[in-house]
Amino acid sequence: MNPVMMIAILRRGALLSFLWWILTEGRRDAWVAGFVAIGAALWLSLRLCAPRSTQISVGGLGAFLGYFIWNSVRGGVQVALLALRGRRALHPGTLELQLNLASPAPRIFVANVLALMPGTVSVRLNGKRLRLHVIDERMPIVAEVKALEVLIARMFGERV
Amino acid sequence: MIELVSTLLLSVGAFFYFAGTLGLLRFPDVYCRLHALAKADNLGLGFILLGLAIQAESLAAALKLVLIWPLVLAASATVSYAIARRADTLGIKPWRREER
Repeated sequence: MNPVMMIAILRRGALLSFLWWILTEGRRDAWVAGFVAIGAALWLSLRLCAPRSTQISVGGLGAFLGYFIWNSVRGGVQVALLALRGRRALHPGTLELQLNLASPAPRIFVANVLALMPGTVSVRLNGKRLRLHVIDERMPIVAEVKALEVLIARMFGERV
Repeated sequence: MIELVSTLLLSVGAFFYFAGTLGLLRFPDVYCRLHALAKADNLGLGFILLGLAIQAESLAAALKLVLIWPLVLAASATVSYAIARRADTLGIKPWRREER
């Protein structure tokens, strides 16, 4: 077995064991079923996503999570205030923009994350073209999408 | 102390659920309603899970509650995209403010 595979098995095995420990709330008698479940999940994960096919950078993930949590709060507060003020507070519109990410997985990720970010809902992703519905046209949406794209590119180890 | 912080977090979560539902009822079209549901409800869920997690009996139970959040986020972002794309395919035009 090559070292890349060994490392992938160890890392994913550890992660899945941790998940099992959480799901069973640390019960010791659940580990028999756990070994079967972890083994099956490990096999499936190696089949669906071969080692090294997508490398997620840990630093990039941390930076993204910080941005994501802060902006989820911003987006939630913003839309909550709009809901309290009713439709006279809305200035909705649509926006077409071009993503610069090269591979499809991070582009789909961007489109999904934008549903949770302030002021945007993804309507259609067609190759690199993304149509957004924005709740307030006066917000600096394009700049925020670019910032998000740069963070996600870093996480997936891409350059934009 | 934990009781107090937990109650506070649960109340904040309930407020966001309330606001999300209010948006669902008050906003003019399907796209605007998706904004309210995807964002406000998910934030509400985050606060409620955090409020419950800090009074959980064990670390594993707390982590299990927190783990629900990313799973629901992933589902809700995907469903929101599916609904918006379907509405767009059906040719539903986004509501626009009438210019004065």
